[in-house]
Parts: sequence; C-alpha cells; structure tokens
Amino acid sequence: MIELKNVTKTFHQKDRIVAALSDVSLRVPEGKIFGVIGTSGAGKSTLIRCVNLLERPTSGEIIVDGKALMQLSNSELAKERRQIGMIFQHFNLLSSRTVFDNVAFPLELTGTAKSEIKTRVLELLQLVGLAEKANDYPASLSGGQKQRVAIARTLANNPKVLLCDEATSALDPATTRSILNLLKDINKRLNITVLLITHQMEVVKSICDEVAVISHGKLIEQGSVGEIFADPKHELTKEFISSSLHIEIPSVYQEKLQKEDNGNLNPLLKLEMTGKSVNEPVISEVSRLFDTDFKIVSAQMDQAGEVNFGVMLIELSGKRENYDAAIQYFNSKHIKTEILGYV
Amino acid sequence: MSDSLIDLLLKGTWETIVMTFVSGFFGFLIGLPTGILLFLTRKNQILEQPVLNRTLSVLVNVFRSIPFIILIVWMIPFTRAIVGTSIGVSAALVPLSIGAAPFIARLVENSLLSLPSGLIEAARALGATPFQIVYKVLLPEALPSLINAASITLITLVGYSAMGGAVGAGGLGQVGYQYGYIGYDAVTMNSVLALLVLLVFLIQFVGDRLSKRFDHR
Repeated sequence: MIELKNVTKTFHQKDRIVAALSDVSLRVPEGKIFGVIGTSGAGKSTLIRCVNLLERPTSGEIIVDGKALMQLSNSELAKERRQIGMIFQHFNLLSSRTVFDNVAFPLELTGTAKSEIKTRVLELLQLVGLAEKANDYPASLSGGQKQRVAIARTLANNPKVLLCDEATSALDPATTRSILNLLKDINKRLNITVLLITHQMEVVKSICDEVAVISHGKLIEQGSVGEIFADPKHELTKEFISSSLHIEIPSVYQEKLQKEDNGNLNPLLKLEMTGKSVNEPVISEVSRLFDTDFKIVSAQMDQAGEVNFGVMLIELSGKRENYDAAIQYFNSKHIKTEILGYV
Repeated sequence: MSDSLIDLLLKGTWETIVMTFVSGFFGFLIGLPTGILLFLTRKNQILEQPVLNRTLSVLVNVFRSIPFIILIVWMIPFTRAIVGTSIGVSAALVPLSIGAAPFIARLVENSLLSLPSGLIEAARALGATPFQIVYKVLLPEALPSLINAASITLITLVGYSAMGGAVGAGGLGQVGYQYGYIGYDAVTMNSVLALLVLLVFLIQFVGDRLSKRFDHR
C-alpha cells in the first residue's frame, strides 16, 4: 500500500549538507499497522512527511496505492493527498472553527453538499465518540479529545492510508492507550493502512504489526513486531525494548538487600524473558524439579505478536543446595537470570 | 461655543471619519493581498519565491520610510490625475490609502507569521490548494489579530488625516490648524483635540471588542 524506495533527503544548512534520510526503503502491506521507532533527530519526522510529500525527497520513489507521487503535478498531488490521512503530535485543529466545522473542513475543500457534510460529520463524530462536543471550540477540549477530532477530520476524506506523526507523544498514558485503541479499531474496521512514527516502544508493542528502527536517517532493522522483540540485532533496538520494560526493586526489599549470603538469606533473582526464551511454564518446572519456591516480588510481562517477554523479580527459597542448579536451568531455557542480592 | 464653531467641528469630525475609514478600506484592499503575498512567498512557505518576496519587501520598505507629510506633497501629480484635484477630502484619500497600504501589508504578514505552522501543514495534508489555505485557514485563523491590525491602522490614519489637514485635506486637522493654530483660538484647538482623542478611543474599544469576539483560542 505504501512503498518507499531508496528515499534520500538532504538539507542545506549554511555551507554543510545534512542527510536527514539516506537510502530508506520500506513497504507497508495493505491493512497493516507499521511503526517506525527512533530517538528524536533520527529522521523519523522527515520520513513520514516524505510519504505525502509535505517534504519532497531529494531522490527516491514514493508509491502510495500504486501511484508514484513524485511524478504528480501539484493539483494531482493535492487530490491524492486526500487518500492519505495524517494526524499530528500537536493536533493542528483550526481554532476558529467548532469541532463540527473542523471535521467538515476537508469536505468543504472538495465542495461536498451541505446536507451531505452534516450527515457525514455527525457519523464521524459518533465514530470517535465526540458527538456531544460538535458545537464546542477546540480550545475547550482535552488533548485526547483534540486528537479524536483530528482523527475524525482526516477520516472525512475516506483515506486508504493514515500517517501518524507522533500522534500520542503529547498525551498522558491513559489517553495514549485510548487513542491507540481507536487507531487499531479504525485500522480493523475501515481497513486503513497505518504508518506511524514514535519514540515510544509501548506504541509499537500495543498496536503495530511491523516495525522499523531508524537511526541517523537509516533504517537499521525492520521486521514483524514478534521477530524484532524475539531477536533484536541492534543495540539501539535492544535499548528500545528494555526501555519499555522497567522494573525497580521495591523500597522494602531495597532496604534489606544484602550483598552476601550469610547462610540463611534468600536470593533475589531478576529473570529476563525475551523472544528467545522457551515458551514453557518454566517457573513451575523449576519449582518442581529443584524443590524450590518462588515469591514474585514484581513483574512486568507483555505480549508482542506471538512473543511473550518481560522481566520479573522473584525471591527464591526452598532447598538451598539446588539454587545454583535452578539458576542454570533458567539460563538453559534462555531466560537471563541475575542474582541482585540476598534478602 | 457658537453655533458656527459647532457646525465646523461636526463637519470636520465627519470628514475625518470618512478619510480614516475610506482610506483604511482602500489601504486594506492593497495591503491585505500584499501582506498575504509577502507571507506566502517567504522561504519555506507554500509559494516560496525569493525574488518576488525581496522585491515586494523592498517596495514596502521604501513606501514605509517616506514621511507622510512628504508623501502627500510628492504624490500631488498622481492624486490630480486620479481625482482631478489636490485639495479636499477625496484628494486626501489617495495618499492616505497609499501611505497605509505598506503599513497594513507588514501587519498582515506579521499576523500570518504568528500562526502555528502546523495549520498549513495539516491543510496541505488534507489536500487544500494554496488558495483554499489562504481563505479557509490563514484568514479565519488570523482574524482576531487582523482586527487588531485594523484598529492600529485606523488610529494611525486618524493621525495621518489630521496631518493632511495642514495642507488642505479638510477634516479636524484643518479645523485645528486654521482656526486653532493660525487663528489662535484655544477653544477650537482643544475641542479638536478632545474629538480626536474620543475617535481614537472609540476605534480601539470597538476593535478590542470585535477581536475578542472572534478569538476562540
């Protein structure tokens, strides 16, 4: 549905040339959600703005729904852009228009009849759950509501593709989740292909089918979300994955944590499960095989595609002489195990 | 205060109002499109045209740097060619409009510059043409600040038209100059002043009200 072929974009800054994108190629199949993740300044914003030619690539090809956009004239391009929805980090709603009129905006551009605009706008506001806000101005809405209006506005054209430029970065976690659910819902219900850029692994994890990692204007890794989480090749990718899993030792444990075992303390273990870890009920196996007990202190487990991954803090007790064997068993199942101390 | 003085002041006030608003109207007729063009042809804007932008900008600056009292005199042949005379209210409208236009152009350009750039981007992404961007996005979004620009312009024009009064433009300026200054009549002079102050306050008040009414940010 979306295809970028060897896209390069350079900027001239005074007397030096900066490459924002170098030789980027990617394909987003119809109906999929594709995420591009990168740190700020990695070129992801330039990348997504190249897809609808808000930014014109220096070289390369952009093909959306079978049309090579770079070859189109300005008026053809304006028409084609109606097939490509876009939402932004800062929503970009028109402050002089009510919610209703904001959603009606793209329909006015195409000269749609008033009566038709009315039914369509109300239908769209219903879809994003803001029907009762139709006559309010954007200034009175919360961030999440503004993004919903922006989504309704961009759906008014019946786009085949939706571009999301850090669409949830200005929102709090709960609102982020609800917007992501809405995007997923739209993707499923209307079969709209989604390309999104983000710096949050949570976004990729929760709605993307495929992901690409961008760094210094180059795509350094791409694949299905399951694959990437299972077997990240690049350091940066690993960092992104671990950044989405942070676990801290609770303060109660922190206080009594000892470096050495004085003979009657229990080890505090950190288990890291990645995609490579064996998908078996390993903990109860270990418990049975080595006659040990586990107390889960804290855990963060998640699912990305087929892959179950996460981190867990557990306090080990039971047969002391089997502790080493238990840890070895975990490691043999590709669960990275580390003794944080003794409690 | 004699009846004849009151008549004089009323006539002067009316002429000043006419000069201010009519030349304000023509000033906007020239200044608004110029300001929009100045904005659109800037670097990184939708109709980027460096040469056109620089030319317009120089032209605007040249006209802005001519002192108004000089502009009136300098434009006399042109004014005569257009309205047939160089004295009176209608003659004053020509230099007033020309004097206001570049000022308005800059104010409009600034109003548009202060809009968030994301708005244009969103409109482009939704398939808007440059023309649609101007009249459906830029102008409505900038309306509150354009109204402010209009108040500033009109107030400046009140001052300009009074200046024009000294060289035969009519209006309160002429009343104040002829009867107040040359005739050395303090009552006339102070009445003229009071009326000018009142006019300025009124314009500012209505302008603020309107601007607030259209501001939904």
